[in-house]
Amino acid sequence: MRPFATDTEALFPELALRISTTLARLREAQSVTVGCSAKRAVWSCGKTTLYQYLPLGDATPRARARPVLICFALVNRPYVLDLQPDRSLVRRLLVAGLSVYLIDWGDPDDADRRVDLEDYIERDLGGCVRHILDSHGGGALDLLGVCQGGVLSLCYTALHGKQVANLVTLTTPVDFHTPDNLLSKWVRGLDTELLMRSGNVPGEALNALFLSLMPFRLTQHKYVRLLAGNCDQRAVDDFVRMERWIFDSPPQAAVALAQFVRWFYQENRLARGTLRIGGRRVDLGEIRQPVLNLYALGDHIVPPDASAAMERHLGSADYTGCGIDTGHIGMYVSRKAAHEIPQRIIAWLKEHS
Amino acid sequence: METPFTSAGFKPDAAFASAAERFFELLKTFGMPGAGAAGAGRDWSSLAGPLAGQFEAWLKTSQSAGPWFTAANAAFPGLAAGFGAAQPGSFGPLPLGAGAAPQQDAQRTWDLVARLAQLQGQLAAHWSEIAGSAARRFVARVGAAAGGAPTLDNALKFYELWVNSAEESYAATVRKDDFCRLQAELANTSAALLVEQRRHAETLVHAFGLPTRNEVDALYAQLKDLRRQLAERTDAPRARRAGAKRPAARPAASRRRKRTRKPRA
Repeated sequence: MRPFATDTEALFPELALRISTTLARLREAQSVTVGCSAKRAVWSCGKTTLYQYLPLGDATPRARARPVLICFALVNRPYVLDLQPDRSLVRRLLVAGLSVYLIDWGDPDDADRRVDLEDYIERDLGGCVRHILDSHGGGALDLLGVCQGGVLSLCYTALHGKQVANLVTLTTPVDFHTPDNLLSKWVRGLDTELLMRSGNVPGEALNALFLSLMPFRLTQHKYVRLLAGNCDQRAVDDFVRMERWIFDSPPQAAVALAQFVRWFYQENRLARGTLRIGGRRVDLGEIRQPVLNLYALGDHIVPPDASAAMERHLGSADYTGCGIDTGHIGMYVSRKAAHEIPQRIIAWLKEHS
Repeated sequence: METPFTSAGFKPDAAFASAAERFFELLKTFGMPGAGAAGAGRDWSSLAGPLAGQFEAWLKTSQSAGPWFTAANAAFPGLAAGFGAAQPGSFGPLPLGAGAAPQQDAQRTWDLVARLAQLQGQLAAHWSEIAGSAARRFVARVGAAAGGAPTLDNALKFYELWVNSAEESYAATVRKDDFCRLQAELANTSAALLVEQRRHAETLVHAFGLPTRNEVDALYAQLKDLRRQLAERTDAPRARRAGAKRPAARPAASRRRKRTRKPRA
């Protein structure tokens, strides 16, 4: 017995047409650009660069608003937050009149094999914070950490609470040992000493690891979906921008990656309160400032429970957690998220300004 | 055949063509005459075999057959070549005298290659399990949706059902402890092989009088330490002038540890 009452051959001419049309659209889309808002480099250290986004001409700067520093993950490029004008968290923050800064960790090379998490948190993130505070006359800033960058932001806030007025985290894991965390299960048995010795990890390797979590959906299904009738050139352009970002992963500094795997994924030190950075204990209980934590309910990389666990560990009496009905990447680029997430962040920051 | 796993870069058209090709194959399987005659009862089992076969073949050829190991292959083409050539004495023909890899080192490399092959074999058993289970899941669900007009939209619905079945079967297997252990061992063995091959390369490099990775690492570490000392000397007076507390006030013990740390291989 077969699923169709008649031969599938009847489908072939239409299928062939759609395949050739989609291929043509994909080739047309190869020239799409990513990153839409103007920015300038204002500080750098090693491979890390701090960018300040230029205010939009039609936005009214909020005189008393604190600067917002976005700290993205080490494992992906931050331009996904400013992918295209209608899907840009950065742009929405600028439209709200906020002064927005973003950290680009750059591409570590062999000279950076020994760059460790202390370097990233204290030297680079700390350097960015100090530069911004110097430029804005001291005080404190609002820190927005995304994914792994949220973990770094939590560490920094726990260690240097006075410099952070409000903390916003997006798709940020805290408990790495929740039962649904497949990535954590897979890397639990990795020999991190060997990982460290084998040198920087190419971006392609991590990318392959992430794709392996749901290989059929992420390497087959998403392409076949382009054959659906409603996929016009604009939809294909959006798709290609996202693809470009997904396959544009920077290499990872050997020591920092090995530390991240061991301390967070294997030993769950952040949740257990046993993490030490630069000789100091990272105690999430020390985070007493207001925290907004947004996570994806369908996240296959950071399961919602891993992020929602944050509430149990913080010292803050003003914690807002919110699950959004989308996936990990959907949090940054889906149409729904493009509207809902900036709106929530801006409203919350305004409330806490 | 190239898959998104093997493509090192951004090639959406190639990835799409590859996925569309497999979708096309799947459609042919759905419509193949040997799959049974319409209305011959609710026996879909004849579809299971071909579906499982196609699926297993894809799993084996795709890089999902071990992300760390195979991605390392993609990222270091020499590593893949090394598997073919890395046999005892593979560095032997080079006239480097004392610089040539000792026999025991070559044996260690060969042992790692053999272990990798063994682990790949174990992984293949998991792919068979996933493919068979996915086909059974699909066959159990397809009945209610079958028999409609052969439109592309209907075909995409079947495809969706197939992907759901495949992902569920995959998830059920790859969450098991034995699979997780196998993944980790594959990654560790391929990392060990990479370290071993680099060690051989270092031996050769040293024989040519060129700086080795260890020596370059030591220089970088020294440079990093000097930069840190310079930053401390220039930042501390500035912070004092500004009356600000140094946020990155690492304990002195920690700074000493940093300075004395020796680079590893």
